[in-house]
Amino acid sequence: MLNHNLLQIKNLKKYYPVTAGFFSRHIGDIKAVDGVTFDISEREIIGLVGESGCGKSTLGRTIPRLEEPTSGEILYKGTDVTRLDNKELRELRREIQIIFQDPDASLDPRMTAGDSICEPLIIHKIGTERERIDRIAELMEQVGLESGQANLYPHEFSGGQKQRIGIARALAMNPKLIIADEPVSALDVSIQAQILNLMMDIQERFGLAYLLIAHDLSVIRHMAQRVTIMYLGKIVELANNKDLFENPLHPYTEALLSAVPSFKQKDKARILLHGDVPSPLNPPPGCHFHPRCHRVIPICKQEEPELAEIAEGHFVACHLYNQTNQSE
Amino acid sequence: MTEMLRDKVRKISQHLRPNTRLVNYYWQRTRRNKLAVSGLAFIIFLVVLAIIGPSFTLDPTAVNFEKKNMPPVGFTIEQSLYSIETDESTTKEISGTWEHPLGTDSKGRDMLAMIVSGARVSLLVGLIATGIAIILGTIIGVLSAYLGGWVDNALMRFTDIMMTFPFFLLLVLIIFIFGPSLAFIVLAIGLTGWTGTARLIRSESLSLRTREFIVAAKALGASDNRVIFRHLIPNVMSLIIVMATLSIPGVILAEAALSFIGLGDPTVPSWGIILEAGQHSLNTAWWVAVEPGVMLFLTVLAFNFLGDGLRDAFDPKSNI
Amino acid sequence: MDNIILKVSNLKTYFFTGRGIVKAVDGVDFELRRGECLCLVGESGCGKTVTALSILRLFDSPPGKIVDGQISYDGLNLTKCSSKQLRQIRGKDIAIVFQEAQSALNPVLTIGDQIIEQIKNHLPLDDSKARHRAITLLSEMGIPSAERVMSYYPHQLSGGMKQRVLIAISLSCDPQILIADEPTTAVDVTIKAQILDIFRELKASRQMSTIFITHDLAVVAEIGDRAVVMYGGKDVETASVSEIIGNPKHPYTSGLIECLPGASNSTGRLVSIPGTTPNPTEMPQGCAFHPRCPKAMKICSQKEPPETTISKEHKVSCHLYPC
Repeated sequence: MLNHNLLQIKNLKKYYPVTAGFFSRHIGDIKAVDGVTFDISEREIIGLVGESGCGKSTLGRTIPRLEEPTSGEILYKGTDVTRLDNKELRELRREIQIIFQDPDASLDPRMTAGDSICEPLIIHKIGTERERIDRIAELMEQVGLESGQANLYPHEFSGGQKQRIGIARALAMNPKLIIADEPVSALDVSIQAQILNLMMDIQERFGLAYLLIAHDLSVIRHMAQRVTIMYLGKIVELANNKDLFENPLHPYTEALLSAVPSFKQKDKARILLHGDVPSPLNPPPGCHFHPRCHRVIPICKQEEPELAEIAEGHFVACHLYNQTNQSE
Repeated sequence: MTEMLRDKVRKISQHLRPNTRLVNYYWQRTRRNKLAVSGLAFIIFLVVLAIIGPSFTLDPTAVNFEKKNMPPVGFTIEQSLYSIETDESTTKEISGTWEHPLGTDSKGRDMLAMIVSGARVSLLVGLIATGIAIILGTIIGVLSAYLGGWVDNALMRFTDIMMTFPFFLLLVLIIFIFGPSLAFIVLAIGLTGWTGTARLIRSESLSLRTREFIVAAKALGASDNRVIFRHLIPNVMSLIIVMATLSIPGVILAEAALSFIGLGDPTVPSWGIILEAGQHSLNTAWWVAVEPGVMLFLTVLAFNFLGDGLRDAFDPKSNI
Repeated sequence: MDNIILKVSNLKTYFFTGRGIVKAVDGVDFELRRGECLCLVGESGCGKTVTALSILRLFDSPPGKIVDGQISYDGLNLTKCSSKQLRQIRGKDIAIVFQEAQSALNPVLTIGDQIIEQIKNHLPLDDSKARHRAITLLSEMGIPSAERVMSYYPHQLSGGMKQRVLIAISLSCDPQILIADEPTTAVDVTIKAQILDIFRELKASRQMSTIFITHDLAVVAEIGDRAVVMYGGKDVETASVSEIIGNPKHPYTSGLIECLPGASNSTGRLVSIPGTTPNPTEMPQGCAFHPRCPKAMKICSQKEPPETTISKEHKVSCHLYPC
């Protein structure tokens, strides 16, 4: 059952200060992550969707403190990650791992596959030399590679195989939570399916939780149990897979879903968003989405909507559903 | 304490040691560049010459006025001798002999012996001075990029200041103060020639620092130390090798130039010293200047070809 | 056959590199009809981009070379015509829009300069007329305040806007054929929808003939009339889009459709095609797809499959369908 207590993020913010001028005056902040609250349960796959600039990748990197959060809490199994010292942080890194988007860039080109996979074991001083070799072989087979290939260099593998190495490396420490940052978007379609299947297999086998960050809604729909939609650093909707895709509430979600090309609905009515995503340095006042919203009402330009639970497990940040507004 | 140090050094050198299969891969790519291969061939020839050559040649310092200004084998010149007693100039034809295949200079010293000894000097200067410059440049560049902040600022401003000094005048000054010994020349060139390397290594390290595999290493829990030595430096290695190869000709020429203007070490016959002596007798004994000149030219060319070839081979985007 | 505006016959473009001969395009046939949107579909390495580049001979000439085949356009054979003739065609009759809008625009010239340069290259218009034409085009592409945008530099625009500027530049001389190389691949979903909309508009308002290169079958379904599926440098199946999606004959085509996450309604394992795309210097013997094909037979590893015509519009190259 979902007990929502593996990872709890409370009002997390990550701002990048912008300076200008000769004396580096602080003129503003890029609010990459602007007050995000949600949680992940054990063995749960939660999808995080948004377009470029929405902050999903930054969120993915802030959780294990690869980027230092500006404010807010990150509670992993009850402990506040933001307050850990270096030694405790390193221990934490055994339990929270990351799979990266670009298989070419995420492996050190000068290390063999075996070296890359066994690096976490070396860093955390686990196992003897003999045991490590066995573990590498074991991991490689689990991700569908031949253990004999452990001595090859990244450039000798294909894109899909490189991504498998990255997955094996992430699994080496038996993590509980894997943050997958666009794990298949750089791969060919036929390989995507292989890797997605692999990810689902290991999730079942090892009881992992995933924070699956992607912009491809069909991947999310296929894999995630709950889905979060982000826009300009904020969560605009959070719901179960079925609820979100069949009954999207936020106008942005509606537009996203209708924008996805699909061969089942060739001539469907499409909601086209005007313009582009505004700059995170200077977001519009009130609801950040209001300039592009096809259902905008006057209050949207003035007040930012709060994320509220409208139906069971279905959260939206939108004035259209704000009970107090509607009654006025 | 020393145990720990030895262990650490062993671990670091283990990671910096070239892996045979990677070396093979890069060698295959370099091999396709004919100019680079010919450059490499010449360099190997030069190295062999420098190592075993002096055992087979005559003594380069042996002076023999009877045989002065002899041309190389196959050439015949007319030498005019002025005799004070008879107040007459007689011209005599002298031909090169196999005893002195490259001729002799104005003091009768064997040119071949001097060229070979000069090869040794040039290569030593090239390798050692470049070594010093590269190591200094790498340390400064990597630290600057990785630590960032005020360290980066301070180091780079220091580099800027070093760069504003006219390199050559600085050399001249150092040699002038400390005396023209080969050791000082090598040290001086090494301590002044690291700035370009530092800049390039820094910018390469900066771009590597944000590459995902560095972030991945940190995500696995790697310490800063480990990231620098295990990931950053090995990936900058190829740039270091290319920079070193392309720096060597500059260093060799710097030493030759110093010798040419008279600041070289007169006890060690290098190509620059021979050139300096030869410039006065271009009319009568052209080979004394031309031979070291040709050797310098070929050596510089060879290192440049090899360096360019290596740079192309290491660059993953070039289609070799 | 007045209807056919471009015909590619047995095109072979090879790259002679130090590592061996890369047969990027190895015998491709298709026709583009007036007013239609033809999609070249395939994964990385299948040769679709090189095919497009070959039409205008835009690849690096050593090491690439068109070793065989014909490309007929307007009475000319583009594989053999002179550079001068080709240059007149490029941009004016046949225009190409590249994938990375970032790198296709010159970062040190303003948008206005770049469009006007393209216009004046081919059309005898003076400065003010060219400028007027440029502004009209930008507005047509849905770029707001087009006049102001003319003086912007590329870095001041977002990804979607840059892509639209690129399309505007390619349309500036009213080409007959537009080749679009993966224009929706590197952009966000909502921008993708906008760009697809532009292409639909172009077809409707200008009867533009388009060759649309993509790996995304859903995009093909949205916007294509006919599709050519490519694998290993060859065309393996050609049909109308509804036939390709509804009645795929080649195992690779059906594999591609089945492995899309949106394809089946169930969650659970996706159908996938095992193995990886072949190394272009080491193509398998016989049919290039046979090592990965669930229906491979003995003959597939020995002989290349012949092209069979299933119906008037539907061709496939597979041993499952002998002539």
